Amino acid sequence: MEPDKILIMMTSGPDTPRRCATPFFMATLAAAMEYEVTMFFTIDGTLLLKRGMAATIFPKAGGKSVESFLNEALEAGVKLTACTASMELHGLTQSDLIDGVKMVGGASFWQMSEGAKTVVSF
Amino acid sequence: MGKIRGCELPEDLYYYAEKHVWAKPMGGSLIRVGMNTVAGKLSGGKLNAVTVRAKNIGAEIAAGKSVATVESSKYVGPVPAPVAGVLKRANEKLTADPNLAITDPYGEGWIVELESPNWETDKAGLLAGPDGLAAYKAKLEADGISCE
Repeated sequence: MEPDKILIMMTSGPDTPRRCATPFFMATLAAAMEYEVTMFFTIDGTLLLKRGMAATIFPKAGGKSVESFLNEALEAGVKLTACTASMELHGLTQSDLIDGVKMVGGASFWQMSEGAKTVVSF
Repeated sequence: MGKIRGCELPEDLYYYAEKHVWAKPMGGSLIRVGMNTVAGKLSGGKLNAVTVRAKNIGAEIAAGKSVATVESSKYVGPVPAPVAGVLKRANEKLTADPNLAITDPYGEGWIVELESPNWETDKAGLLAGPDGLAAYKAKLEADGISCE
C-alpha cells in the first residue's frame, strides 16, 4: 500500500524561535505514523536550513535547539525542500544550505500539494 | 526477571532489539506488543500520548512498520511491529494514561495485539532466552545505553 503523503509549508524563521519547533515535531510524528512527509521551506523558513543556523535557535530557553528537532525529522525520513525564490530573497545558494535539501521552484509546491493527502502551513 | 545494564528485560519475552520493543505470544496466533524498559528510558520522561491510527485496526502491518507512536516532551517516535501481522486492537487504557507504557511496560501498559499466523517462523528474527538477552546486552553496551 502506498503511504499517504503530507506536505508541510514552513514560513517561520529565526525571528520567531517559538514557531520553529512544532513544525519539525509534527513532521517527525507523521513520519513515525508511516506518512511520507515533505517539508517545503519558504519566506523566512528557508533560513533555518542555512548551515549552522538551526543550532543557534532555541524555541525554549535551556531546551533543545531547532537543529535537534531538524535532525530528528531527518532521521525519521522527512524530506526537506527549499523554495528557490526565497533563497534568492535571502541571498543563499545551494552550498549555503545543509546537506540533503532539494531546491525546488514554487510550482513544485502546487504539484506536491496535488499528491498530498494533507497540507499544513506554519 | 532479568536485569541488563539496569533495564528490566524478562526472559520469557521476545525482543525486537533494534527498536526496543517486546512481543509475547498470547495463545493461538495472537501476539501482544509493547515498549520495553530500554525504550522507556530513551523516551526521556513521561509519555503524553500513545497513539494507534484507527485506520490501521484490521490492516496487515509489515514487520518493522509503525503500529503506534509515542510522544513525550523530549521525544517522538514509532513503535514498530516486531513481526508481521494484522493489527487486532490497541490497549484502550493508554488513552487515559499513556505513561502506563513506561510505568508498567510488561503488564497494563502493553500497546497493541497482532494476529500473526507466521509467528513460529518469524520469531526467529527476535532475541529471546539467555542467548538472546546476552546479545541484547552486547548491543546496549555497544550503543552506550543504560537504565541506571
